[in-house]
Amino acid sequence: MKAEALKGHLDGILLAVLEAGPRHGYAIMEALRVRSGGQVDLPTGTVYPALHRLERAGLVRASWSEAGGRRRRVYELTTAGRRALDTERGTWQDFSAAVTALLRPASPAASLP
Amino acid sequence: MSVQGPLGPAAGPAVERYLAEVTARLPGPARAHSGIVAELRSGLLDATDARRSAGLSAAQAARAAVGEFGDPALVAEGFRAEIAAGQARRAAAALTVTGPLVGLLWIAAAATSHLRVGLAPPWQQAGLPPVVRVGIYPVAVAAVLTACAALVVVATTGRLTRWLPARPRRGPTAAAVAGFGAVCAEGLGLALLAAQLVVAPGKLSLLPAAAAAAAATVRLVFARRAARRCLAIRAALT
Repeated sequence: MKAEALKGHLDGILLAVLEAGPRHGYAIMEALRVRSGGQVDLPTGTVYPALHRLERAGLVRASWSEAGGRRRRVYELTTAGRRALDTERGTWQDFSAAVTALLRPASPAASLP
Repeated sequence: MSVQGPLGPAAGPAVERYLAEVTARLPGPARAHSGIVAELRSGLLDATDARRSAGLSAAQAARAAVGEFGDPALVAEGFRAEIAAGQARRAAAALTVTGPLVGLLWIAAAATSHLRVGLAPPWQQAGLPPVVRVGIYPVAVAAVLTACAALVVVATTGRLTRWLPARPRRGPTAAAVAGFGAVCAEGLGLALLAAQLVVAPGKLSLLPAAAAAAAATVRLVFARRAARRCLAIRAALT
Protein backbone atom coordinates (compact mmCIF):
# COMPACT_ATOMS: atom_id res chain seq x y z
CA MET A 1 0.00 0.00 0.00
CA LYS A 2 1.50 3.31 -1.04
CA ALA A 3 2.50 5.59 1.79
CA GLU A 4 1.08 8.58 -0.09
CA ALA A 5 -2.41 7.07 -0.15
CA LEU A 6 -2.33 6.59 3.60
CA LYS A 7 -1.11 10.06 4.47
CA GLY A 8 -4.48 11.68 4.97
CA HIS A 9 -5.67 8.89 7.22
CA LEU A 10 -2.52 8.27 9.21
CA ASP A 11 -3.74 10.25 12.21
CA GLY A 12 -6.96 8.26 12.46
CA ILE A 13 -5.13 4.98 12.00
CA LEU A 14 -2.69 5.79 14.79
CA LEU A 15 -5.52 6.76 17.13
CA ALA A 16 -7.21 3.43 16.36
CA VAL A 17 -4.05 1.47 17.16
CA LEU A 18 -3.86 3.22 20.53
CA GLU A 19 -7.49 2.53 21.35
CA ALA A 20 -6.64 -0.84 22.84
CA GLY A 21 -4.10 0.65 25.23
CA PRO A 22 -0.86 2.62 25.53
CA ARG A 23 2.04 1.69 23.25
CA HIS A 24 5.45 2.96 22.27
CA GLY A 25 6.55 3.89 18.76
CA TYR A 26 7.93 0.55 17.61
CA ALA A 27 4.97 -1.40 19.01
CA ILE A 28 2.63 0.96 17.14
CA MET A 29 4.51 0.22 13.89
CA GLU A 30 4.25 -3.52 14.51
CA ALA A 31 0.53 -3.21 15.23
CA LEU A 32 0.01 -1.33 11.96
CA ARG A 33 1.80 -4.08 10.08
CA VAL A 34 -0.04 -6.92 11.82
CA ARG A 35 -3.54 -5.42 11.80
CA SER A 36 -3.36 -4.51 8.13
CA GLY A 37 -2.27 -8.06 7.26
CA GLY A 38 1.14 -6.85 6.16
CA GLN A 39 -0.31 -4.34 3.69
CA VAL A 40 0.86 -1.28 5.57
CA ASP A 41 4.62 -0.89 5.64
CA LEU A 42 5.29 2.78 6.19
CA PRO A 43 8.82 3.98 6.76
CA THR A 44 9.06 3.80 10.53
CA GLY A 45 10.44 7.31 10.68
CA THR A 46 7.19 8.86 9.39
CA VAL A 47 5.17 7.54 12.28
CA TYR A 48 7.10 9.40 15.02
CA PRO A 49 6.46 12.93 13.73
CA ALA A 50 2.77 12.03 13.34
CA LEU A 51 2.65 10.88 16.97
CA HIS A 52 4.26 14.13 18.11
CA ARG A 53 1.71 16.09 16.13
CA LEU A 54 -1.14 14.17 17.78
CA GLU A 55 0.41 14.90 21.15
CA ARG A 56 0.58 18.62 20.42
CA ALA A 57 -3.09 18.57 19.40
CA GLY A 58 -3.94 16.94 22.73
CA LEU A 59 -5.29 13.76 21.14
CA VAL A 60 -2.65 11.53 22.74
CA ARG A 61 -0.61 11.80 25.91
CA ALA A 62 3.04 10.76 25.98
CA SER A 63 5.27 9.73 28.86
CA TRP A 64 8.68 8.14 29.26
CA SER A 65 8.73 4.60 30.58
CA GLU A 66 11.68 2.43 31.56
CA ALA A 67 11.59 -1.26 30.64
CA GLY A 68 14.40 -3.73 30.19
CA GLY A 69 16.99 -1.02 30.69
CA ARG A 70 15.62 1.04 27.80
CA ARG A 71 13.69 4.29 28.01
CA ARG A 72 10.76 4.43 25.61
CA ARG A 73 8.19 7.09 24.89
CA VAL A 74 4.75 5.57 25.47
CA TYR A 75 1.65 7.08 23.87
CA GLU A 76 -1.88 6.89 25.22
CA LEU A 77 -5.24 8.08 23.84
CA THR A 78 -6.84 11.03 25.63
CA THR A 79 -10.60 11.57 25.92
CA ALA A 80 -10.39 14.06 23.09
CA GLY A 81 -8.47 11.46 21.11
CA ARG A 82 -11.26 8.93 21.53
CA ARG A 83 -13.78 11.48 20.32
CA ALA A 84 -11.59 12.33 17.32
CA LEU A 85 -11.32 8.62 16.52
CA ASP A 86 -15.11 8.25 16.51
CA THR A 87 -15.42 11.26 14.21
CA GLU A 88 -12.76 9.83 11.89
CA ARG A 89 -14.57 6.49 11.74
CA GLY A 90 -17.83 8.22 10.79
CA THR A 91 -16.12 10.36 8.17
CA TRP A 92 -14.42 7.33 6.65
CA GLN A 93 -17.68 5.34 6.54
CA ASP A 94 -19.42 8.14 4.66
CA PHE A 95 -16.48 8.71 2.34
CA SER A 96 -15.91 5.06 1.44
CA ALA A 97 -19.65 4.47 0.94
CA ALA A 98 -19.83 7.39 -1.46
CA VAL A 99 -16.76 6.33 -3.45
CA THR A 100 -17.92 2.71 -3.58
CA ALA A 101 -21.25 3.84 -5.03
CA LEU A 102 -19.54 6.07 -7.58
CA LEU A 103 -17.12 3.34 -8.65
CA ARG A 104 -19.89 0.84 -9.24
CA PRO A 105 -20.10 -0.19 -12.93
CA ALA A 106 -22.73 1.74 -14.88
CA SER A 107 -26.05 -0.09 -15.53
CA PRO A 108 -26.50 -1.64 -19.06
CA ALA A 109 -29.26 0.90 -19.93
CA ALA A 110 -26.90 3.80 -19.45
CA SER A 111 -24.30 2.51 -21.94
CA LEU A 112 -26.70 2.41 -24.94
CA PRO A 113 -25.84 4.93 -27.68
CA MET B 1 30.87 -2.82 23.11
CA SER B 2 28.80 -0.17 24.88
CA VAL B 3 29.87 3.45 25.12
CA GLN B 4 28.00 5.54 27.68
CA GLY B 5 26.85 8.77 26.00
CA PRO B 6 24.82 11.56 27.59
CA LEU B 7 21.61 9.87 26.53
CA GLY B 8 22.53 6.37 27.62
CA PRO B 9 24.55 3.64 25.92
CA ALA B 10 25.39 4.33 22.27
CA ALA B 11 23.57 1.99 19.96
CA GLY B 12 26.28 0.79 17.63
CA PRO B 13 27.78 2.49 14.59
CA ALA B 14 24.99 2.01 12.04
CA VAL B 15 22.27 3.38 14.31
CA GLU B 16 24.39 6.27 15.61
CA ARG B 17 25.39 7.22 12.07
CA TYR B 18 21.74 7.26 11.03
CA LEU B 19 20.76 9.37 14.06
CA ALA B 20 23.58 11.79 13.26
CA GLU B 21 22.24 12.17 9.73
CA VAL B 22 18.77 12.93 11.06
CA THR B 23 19.93 15.45 13.68
CA ALA B 24 22.14 17.20 11.14
CA ARG B 25 18.95 18.08 9.27
CA LEU B 26 16.97 19.23 12.30
CA PRO B 27 16.69 23.00 12.77
CA GLY B 28 17.33 24.87 15.97
CA PRO B 29 19.64 24.15 18.93
CA ALA B 30 20.54 20.58 19.93
CA ARG B 31 18.69 20.73 23.24
CA ALA B 32 15.43 21.07 21.34
CA HIS B 33 16.00 17.65 19.76
CA SER B 34 17.40 15.58 22.60
CA GLY B 35 14.00 14.01 23.36
CA ILE B 36 13.39 13.18 19.71
CA VAL B 37 16.82 11.59 19.32
CA ALA B 38 16.34 9.48 22.44
CA GLU B 39 12.98 8.29 21.19
CA LEU B 40 14.27 7.42 17.72
CA ARG B 41 17.24 5.61 19.26
CA SER B 42 15.04 3.39 21.42
CA GLY B 43 12.82 2.68 18.41
CA LEU B 44 15.83 1.69 16.31
CA LEU B 45 17.13 -0.51 19.12
CA ASP B 46 13.74 -2.23 19.37
CA ALA B 47 13.74 -2.82 15.61
CA THR B 48 17.28 -4.18 15.79
CA ASP B 49 16.36 -6.54 18.62
CA ALA B 50 13.34 -7.81 16.68
CA ARG B 51 15.56 -8.66 13.73
CA ARG B 52 18.22 -10.31 15.88
CA SER B 53 15.62 -12.58 17.45
CA ALA B 54 14.62 -13.47 13.87
CA GLY B 55 18.15 -14.76 13.37
CA LEU B 56 20.12 -11.90 11.79
CA SER B 57 23.55 -10.93 13.06
CA ALA B 58 23.93 -7.72 15.07
CA ALA B 59 25.33 -5.80 12.11
CA GLN B 60 22.70 -7.07 9.66
CA ALA B 61 19.92 -6.37 12.15
CA ALA B 62 21.12 -2.79 12.67
CA ARG B 63 21.35 -2.16 8.93
CA ALA B 64 17.88 -3.57 8.36
CA ALA B 65 16.41 -1.48 11.19
CA VAL B 66 18.01 1.67 9.80
CA GLY B 67 16.81 0.85 6.28
CA GLU B 68 13.26 0.28 7.51
CA PHE B 69 13.26 3.67 9.23
CA GLY B 70 13.48 5.47 5.92
CA ASP B 71 15.31 8.40 4.41
CA PRO B 72 16.81 10.58 7.18
CA ALA B 73 15.84 13.69 5.19
CA LEU B 74 12.17 12.67 5.27
CA VAL B 75 12.26 11.87 8.97
CA ALA B 76 13.88 15.24 9.73
CA GLU B 77 11.35 17.03 7.53
CA GLY B 78 8.50 15.43 9.45
CA PHE B 79 9.89 16.76 12.70
CA ARG B 80 10.57 20.24 11.41
CA ALA B 81 7.02 21.46 11.97
CA GLU B 82 7.08 20.02 15.49
CA ILE B 83 10.32 21.71 16.41
CA ALA B 84 9.11 24.98 14.91
CA ALA B 85 5.95 24.87 17.00
CA GLY B 86 7.94 24.14 20.17
CA GLN B 87 10.34 27.00 19.53
CA ALA B 88 7.52 29.41 18.79
CA ARG B 89 5.74 28.48 22.01
CA ARG B 90 8.87 28.85 24.14
CA ALA B 91 9.59 32.24 22.61
CA ALA B 92 6.01 33.41 23.19
CA ALA B 93 6.09 32.19 26.80
CA ALA B 94 9.38 33.94 27.53
CA LEU B 95 8.14 37.20 26.00
CA THR B 96 4.85 37.04 27.90
CA VAL B 97 6.58 36.49 31.23
CA THR B 98 9.35 39.07 30.80
CA GLY B 99 7.10 41.78 29.33
CA PRO B 100 5.23 42.71 32.50
CA LEU B 101 8.39 42.28 34.62
CA VAL B 102 10.38 44.78 32.60
CA GLY B 103 7.26 46.95 32.38
CA LEU B 104 7.14 47.12 36.16
CA LEU B 105 10.78 48.23 36.23
CA TRP B 106 9.95 51.03 33.79
CA ILE B 107 6.98 52.10 35.88
CA ALA B 108 9.11 51.98 39.03
CA ALA B 109 11.73 54.14 37.33
CA ALA B 110 9.08 56.68 36.34
CA ALA B 111 7.35 56.62 39.73
CA THR B 112 10.52 57.08 41.79
CA SER B 113 11.89 59.83 39.57
CA HIS B 114 11.27 63.42 40.51
CA LEU B 115 8.99 63.87 37.57
CA ARG B 116 5.86 64.48 39.61
CA VAL B 117 4.11 61.62 37.89
CA GLY B 118 0.81 60.66 39.43
CA LEU B 119 -1.92 58.19 38.70
CA ALA B 120 -3.15 60.03 35.60
CA PRO B 121 -2.39 58.56 32.17
CA PRO B 122 0.96 59.61 30.64
CA TRP B 123 -0.47 62.19 28.26
CA GLN B 124 -1.91 64.15 31.20
CA GLN B 125 1.34 64.23 33.12
CA ALA B 126 2.66 67.76 33.03
CA GLY B 127 5.91 66.68 34.64
CA LEU B 128 6.95 64.60 31.61
CA PRO B 129 8.61 66.29 28.65
CA PRO B 130 6.35 66.37 25.54
CA VAL B 131 8.47 63.88 23.62
CA VAL B 132 8.04 61.31 26.39
CA ARG B 133 4.34 62.01 26.77
CA VAL B 134 3.78 61.35 23.06
CA GLY B 135 6.30 58.54 22.88
CA ILE B 136 4.38 56.37 25.34
CA TYR B 137 1.76 55.66 22.66
CA PRO B 138 3.93 53.65 20.25
CA VAL B 139 5.40 51.75 23.20
CA ALA B 140 1.88 50.77 24.26
CA VAL B 141 1.00 49.75 20.71
CA ALA B 142 4.12 47.60 20.45
CA ALA B 143 3.39 45.96 23.79
CA VAL B 144 -0.20 45.15 22.82
CA LEU B 145 1.01 43.78 19.47
CA THR B 146 3.42 41.48 21.28
CA ALA B 147 0.70 40.24 23.60
CA CYS B 148 -1.72 39.54 20.73
CA ALA B 149 0.95 37.79 18.67
CA ALA B 150 1.83 35.62 21.67
CA LEU B 151 -1.83 34.60 21.93
CA VAL B 152 -1.81 33.68 18.23
CA VAL B 153 1.24 31.49 18.86
CA VAL B 154 -0.57 29.62 21.63
CA ALA B 155 -3.65 29.21 19.44
CA THR B 156 -1.75 27.88 16.43
CA THR B 157 0.58 25.51 18.27
CA GLY B 158 -1.59 23.84 20.86
CA ARG B 159 -4.89 22.05 21.33
CA LEU B 160 -6.68 24.10 18.70
CA THR B 161 -4.56 22.46 16.02
CA ARG B 162 -6.87 19.46 16.12
CA TRP B 163 -9.62 21.55 14.52
CA LEU B 164 -7.68 24.12 12.54
CA PRO B 165 -6.08 23.11 9.22
CA ALA B 166 -2.38 22.39 9.48
CA ARG B 167 -0.44 25.59 8.79
CA PRO B 168 2.92 25.04 10.44
CA ARG B 169 4.25 28.46 9.42
CA ARG B 170 1.68 30.42 11.44
CA GLY B 171 3.16 29.71 14.85
CA PRO B 172 6.72 30.77 14.01
CA THR B 173 5.42 33.81 12.09
CA ALA B 174 3.38 34.98 15.07
CA ALA B 175 6.32 34.34 17.40
CA ALA B 176 8.58 36.44 15.17
CA VAL B 177 6.01 39.26 15.23
CA ALA B 178 5.85 39.03 19.02
CA GLY B 179 9.64 39.15 19.20
CA PHE B 180 9.96 42.19 16.96
CA GLY B 181 7.11 43.86 18.85
CA ALA B 182 9.09 43.44 22.07
CA VAL B 183 12.21 44.79 20.35
CA CYS B 184 10.23 47.91 19.34
CA ALA B 185 8.69 48.37 22.76
CA GLU B 186 12.00 48.13 24.60
CA GLY B 187 13.85 50.12 21.96
CA LEU B 188 11.33 52.94 22.16
CA GLY B 189 11.47 52.81 25.95
CA LEU B 190 15.24 53.22 25.85
CA ALA B 191 14.90 56.05 23.35
CA LEU B 192 12.44 57.83 25.63
CA LEU B 193 14.82 57.38 28.54
CA ALA B 194 17.56 58.94 26.44
CA ALA B 195 15.23 61.84 25.60
CA GLN B 196 14.51 62.38 29.27
CA LEU B 197 18.26 62.35 29.98
CA VAL B 198 18.79 65.02 27.37
CA VAL B 199 15.91 67.23 28.45
CA ALA B 200 15.99 67.00 32.23
CA PRO B 201 18.55 64.53 33.58
CA GLY B 202 18.32 65.85 37.09
CA LYS B 203 14.76 64.65 37.48
CA LEU B 204 15.60 61.00 36.90
CA SER B 205 16.14 58.58 39.76
CA LEU B 206 19.39 56.99 38.67
CA LEU B 207 19.27 53.47 40.09
CA PRO B 208 15.72 52.52 39.04
CA ALA B 209 16.28 54.08 35.62
CA ALA B 210 19.52 52.13 35.16
CA ALA B 211 17.82 48.91 36.27
CA ALA B 212 14.98 49.44 33.81
CA ALA B 213 17.42 50.27 31.03
CA ALA B 214 19.52 47.17 31.72
CA ALA B 215 16.49 44.86 31.83
CA ALA B 216 15.05 46.43 28.69
CA THR B 217 18.33 45.96 26.82
CA VAL B 218 18.58 42.30 27.82
CA ARG B 219 14.97 41.66 26.79
CA LEU B 220 15.54 43.47 23.50
CA VAL B 221 18.57 41.33 22.66
CA PHE B 222 16.86 38.05 23.52
CA ALA B 223 13.64 39.02 21.74
CA ARG B 224 15.55 39.85 18.57
CA ARG B 225 17.45 36.56 18.73
CA ALA B 226 14.23 34.57 19.28
CA ALA B 227 12.45 36.37 16.44
CA ARG B 228 15.29 35.68 14.00
CA ARG B 229 15.46 32.04 15.04
CA CYS B 230 11.71 31.65 14.47
CA LEU B 231 11.99 33.28 11.06
CA ALA B 232 14.82 30.89 10.14
CA ILE B 233 12.78 27.87 11.17
CA ARG B 234 9.78 29.21 9.31
CA ALA B 235 11.85 29.52 6.14
CA ALA B 236 12.76 25.83 6.42
CA LEU B 237 9.10 24.78 6.52
CA THR B 238 7.17 24.03 3.34
